Amino acid sequence: MTSPILITGRGVVSAIGRNKAETLDALLNNRSGVGPLVYLKTEHKEFPVGEVKMSNEEMRKHLNINDKDITTRTALMGMMALDEALKDARLTTDMLPEVGFISGTTVGGMDMSEQYYLDYISNDNHKEYIKVHDCGSCSEMTAEHFGKFAFMTTLSTACSSAANAIILGANMLRRGEAEIVVVGGSECITKFHLNGFNSLMILDTKPCRPFDATRAGLNLGEGAAYLVLETEESAKRRGVKAQAILSGYGNACDAFHQTASSPDGEGAYRAMKEALELADIQPSEIGYINAHGTGTPNNDLSESHAVMRLFGDNVPPMSSTKPFTGHTTSASGSIEAVFCILALQHGFLPANLNWSQPMDDGIVPVHQSVKKELKHVLCNAFGFGGNDSSLLISRAKVPATVEGPTQHNGTSTSSATVYILSAKQISVQQPLCEDWMMQPIEYQAYFNRSIDPSFKEYISPIEARRMGKILKRALATSKEALKASGLNSVDAIITGTGYGCIENTEIFLDALSKEGEQMLSPTYFMQSTHNTISSLVAIQLKNHGYNVTYAHKGISFDSALQDAWLQMQLGKIHSALVGGHDEMTETFYNILKKGGVMGQDKEMCGEAAVSVVLGTEKHDSLCKLVNFKMLHKPSAETLKVIAKDFQADYILTGISGNHKSDEAYLTECKELFGSSILLKYKHLFGESFTSSGIGLYVAAQCLKAGNIPAHLFVNKDEIKGKKPSKILIFNHTDGNNYSLTLLEA
Amino acid sequence: MDELIYKLKQQIIEALNLEDMKPEDIDDNASLFGEGLGLDSIDALELIVMMEKNYGIKLQDPAQGKEIFKSVAVMADFIAKNRTK
Repeated sequence: MTSPILITGRGVVSAIGRNKAETLDALLNNRSGVGPLVYLKTEHKEFPVGEVKMSNEEMRKHLNINDKDITTRTALMGMMALDEALKDARLTTDMLPEVGFISGTTVGGMDMSEQYYLDYISNDNHKEYIKVHDCGSCSEMTAEHFGKFAFMTTLSTACSSAANAIILGANMLRRGEAEIVVVGGSECITKFHLNGFNSLMILDTKPCRPFDATRAGLNLGEGAAYLVLETEESAKRRGVKAQAILSGYGNACDAFHQTASSPDGEGAYRAMKEALELADIQPSEIGYINAHGTGTPNNDLSESHAVMRLFGDNVPPMSSTKPFTGHTTSASGSIEAVFCILALQHGFLPANLNWSQPMDDGIVPVHQSVKKELKHVLCNAFGFGGNDSSLLISRAKVPATVEGPTQHNGTSTSSATVYILSAKQISVQQPLCEDWMMQPIEYQAYFNRSIDPSFKEYISPIEARRMGKILKRALATSKEALKASGLNSVDAIITGTGYGCIENTEIFLDALSKEGEQMLSPTYFMQSTHNTISSLVAIQLKNHGYNVTYAHKGISFDSALQDAWLQMQLGKIHSALVGGHDEMTETFYNILKKGGVMGQDKEMCGEAAVSVVLGTEKHDSLCKLVNFKMLHKPSAETLKVIAKDFQADYILTGISGNHKSDEAYLTECKELFGSSILLKYKHLFGESFTSSGIGLYVAAQCLKAGNIPAHLFVNKDEIKGKKPSKILIFNHTDGNNYSLTLLEA
Repeated sequence: MDELIYKLKQQIIEALNLEDMKPEDIDDNASLFGEGLGLDSIDALELIVMMEKNYGIKLQDPAQGKEIFKSVAVMADFIAKNRTK
């Protein structure tokens, strides 16, 4: 059975409109929203931007948000777009517990962090904003304004974040994880971003001119958009119509450079090709391409080459809509997907404004809005690090099919056997080995940094000099895990990181706050984006496969694991390198402690770098991954039902020394898993956002060794020499997010 | 000029975090990018920041860097002619 993925709702906010109607009107009438800066307080008035034409206060009023409630601009714009999308799809609050929410963002709550950073490091003022610094909080604030969703996670692949959220949502529908998912992204303009792009010297002081001979950079924009993806059966049952069909999608990694695209556009070419193949549509059937087209000399040349490689002499009409909105970064994938749906519904090609002279060796864009019947369109979104994605959207009337079976039973009964082939860690225990099993290091301090190995073997000095610790650790664990897996390469590289490259983010934020908005280092900005880790691993391993990054607090690693698991069940990939990487500086530890995010009570905190290779062929594996599930604020009843599928002889809990949460953990485990023996690992490895990855590593190594070290038992009187056969890693983390990972020897 | 060249080498090493290098290791006339030191486009941007910080020279177009950053000698010559501090 094949089943199409319907788009049954959409909402959009950008510089050209606060909703679909205003957006359509602006697109049809060639009305750009790019202009002088109004809302962002910055000294860089020389750069035109595409701001959403509302202040935060106006958005709060529009959304009926109490003055005292904590929000960020990214969340506010997200709420506006989500509001429209939910109404459009006729989804009400009572239905949301069955609906998934997947969002993309990169700056998260940086608009507040950059305002209050000096307070964070010196006093208690505004400390209530500390907990909304990260990307995951932004998604939670956005979603919780409307109710409780079934599951939630956050993609952070820079400027392709929203496109990758759409791809994950589609895969989840195809796998039967849900019947409805709301997907997209949101991003506001911040000083951090504006100065970061300025340090890379890719901002134009004039309105941007994509694909023009005189193009000289991009204009920064902001906005949000969400799509409601739905199975055909669900839409039929609810009596809602498809506005368009998501027929195909592709994700590939350029694996070329952290901030530049390759001359031949390899990643872009592969992403578009994959989208066409999945949809089983010929290049000649594509009626329009909404280009990524940022207006930088590098992107537009690279994208032109990719398109010309794929379409030969028959390049379809193509335009970049960034002169309308500015580059809306993380949100661009979903905002432009909405533009494509409008183009399909109303039969027109959006114009590539400001274009006048053809560039050398590039495509010639549609430079005036033209009436044209469309059946299939491609929508491109590319991100730093070469995280390239392409969506193929079709007119609703066209019968479209998506390959592969769609299952419709909320449970994830496995159809592919997944093995954990290898797992490597760098943490507060001895790095890249299992010494902790026999001789664990015990710490007195509540915050400790990892013990680093020598990185010389993994990274040349010329490469290493620009890398923060998190990147070096990611490379070392990835290379070691790959070596131990017996595989030469993997189909996908998927990374989870709660806070990303905190060390370099802090340096950039510190300089911005103390020295002002001039002469900032591009290196630190470049390494502040979360997907730097995953894309750097791809560059080093020369891997063009699927590549994404999740950034959602304590379920960042779990989200990455879920993606790999899902795609293996769908038969899309057969191997994956899944990473969980978080570093923590002294300064940020103290900030987060002050904000109540971590380090409460007697919680042990650390850093974690873990790389795991999964595959569908056994090799010399550590163990099997037999079941996996993520839940967001489940009811006690739901949790009980799910737990039945996850019974094991041992439960590896995440108790961390924080008495309040530890007690809740233990009570919950006893209720759900009765007589299973409880284990712990965070007293040795510490708490970090991706410590659940360490949990997986610990459990897999115990199963391989056929032995559980005495120091992992919660109750010393339960220590037996019993050889473990099944271990459940039970992760209950902040925001009431759960993940259950069942391993078998 | 020799003094400026030496100082410049120190500043390049610091700006680009070339931990294992000493000013003596950099040839005055060797190319900084490509075959020589093997620097890339991000290094070029760091050098632009470094010139602005230390010599008050602001480049508007990163493409200008291609000529100026040919070698330490060329860079020193450009700085000597254009410095504002």
